[in-house]
Amino acid sequence: MIWEVFRQEAAGDYHTHCGNVHAPDRDMALLFAEIQHGRRKPTNSLWVVPKPEIAEVDTDDAVFGGSTDKAYRFAQSYNVEPAAKEVADSERELTEAERKRGEP
Amino acid sequence: MDIETVKDRAGPRAFGPSDDMPEEYRKAATRMLQFHANSEIMGAYLERPFIRKAPSLERKMAFSAKVQDEIGHGQLLYRAAESLGIKTREEMLEELANGEGKFLNCFHYPMTDWVETPMIAFFVDGAAMRRQATLKRSSWEPYAHAMDKVCFEEGFHVKHGESILAELMNGSRAEQERTQEAFEEWWPRILQFFGPTNDKSTHHDFASEVGLKFQSNDDLRNAFLNAYLPKARKYGLEIPDEPRIRERDDGTFEVAEEDLDWDEFFEVSKNQYAGSEEQIGKRHDTQEAVEWVRDALEETERAAMGDGAPAAAD
Repeated sequence: MIWEVFRQEAAGDYHTHCGNVHAPDRDMALLFAEIQHGRRKPTNSLWVVPKPEIAEVDTDDAVFGGSTDKAYRFAQSYNVEPAAKEVADSERELTEAERKRGEP
Repeated sequence: MDIETVKDRAGPRAFGPSDDMPEEYRKAATRMLQFHANSEIMGAYLERPFIRKAPSLERKMAFSAKVQDEIGHGQLLYRAAESLGIKTREEMLEELANGEGKFLNCFHYPMTDWVETPMIAFFVDGAAMRRQATLKRSSWEPYAHAMDKVCFEEGFHVKHGESILAELMNGSRAEQERTQEAFEEWWPRILQFFGPTNDKSTHHDFASEVGLKFQSNDDLRNAFLNAYLPKARKYGLEIPDEPRIRERDDGTFEVAEEDLDWDEFFEVSKNQYAGSEEQIGKRHDTQEAVEWVRDALEETERAAMGDGAPAAAD
């Protein structure tokens, strides 16, 4: 059976998909994941998930974020100065996200 | 997907296991991945005795880590190959053990002396790293992902090899002479690493059009020579007169193809070279010796899953 592996580099980070392993059961999957994906890269924790358990939705099935103009969701479309640093930080992240949304 | 769509959409990491790829693409990618995975395994077996033979503890530990890395890379690449749905891991490992599986020319030759190790560990690994860096742009996403991990891990392999070469060429006169002899023996094989010159390579065009390959054999070899010829000279190695290598005005290298033994190369690539049987045999014996482990894992999987074909475990 294939088990997808997710690595968390340091405590507090998100687990990120880093590959998969073949294993007959959960214990062996954890062991093989440790050797294949946790041996050389900095690792705090590994998750293994049986591949059939992973469901996916992608751009073939869904229009992520909707299809109409959502300018009102983006801080940069409001014509006032950010009130505080955290508002400005969010605006910067939203601007970046909007830029990426335009990319193919 | 039809082939024309594949050619249109081909780009780095464009295709993955959820895409319905045409058989021609899947077979071409499987061939490349299988060759690559086989080469990782055969290279690891060639270097494994040097864990024991290395002259210092540091070298033993480095070779031990390197061999373990290479076996891991083989596993990773078999997995990426399997995802194309043409061959299973079990089939590819079986083919490798029985002499049908093809692998890099350099690993068909025996390596017995310490002075030979940098030829593989520095020059061959260096050539491999050059190729692997370009494969990060493979259109088959699992291959590209595997290359991310492989490239991350391999930097120390090449530097470790160079460090051994530096040590030997700064050693006694006898060591330097023997290293030079080893270099002369391995040099033609290293030059043939990248395969036949452009017009003799049968697989390049299709692989290039579907994003599986980016640089011609000649381009890769030029890039390798640009980086590694100066290194060889720096350590005092004399580049053999043959094969004749001429530096063109634009900095690229022209290797006199006729000076290389392509008959031997083609024999090697069909696993028909005299030494091939020895290298493959060792792998075959080990495969047999650990069959009981694979059987036990299969049993466990069968019991855990009830029915359905168990896949071979790592």
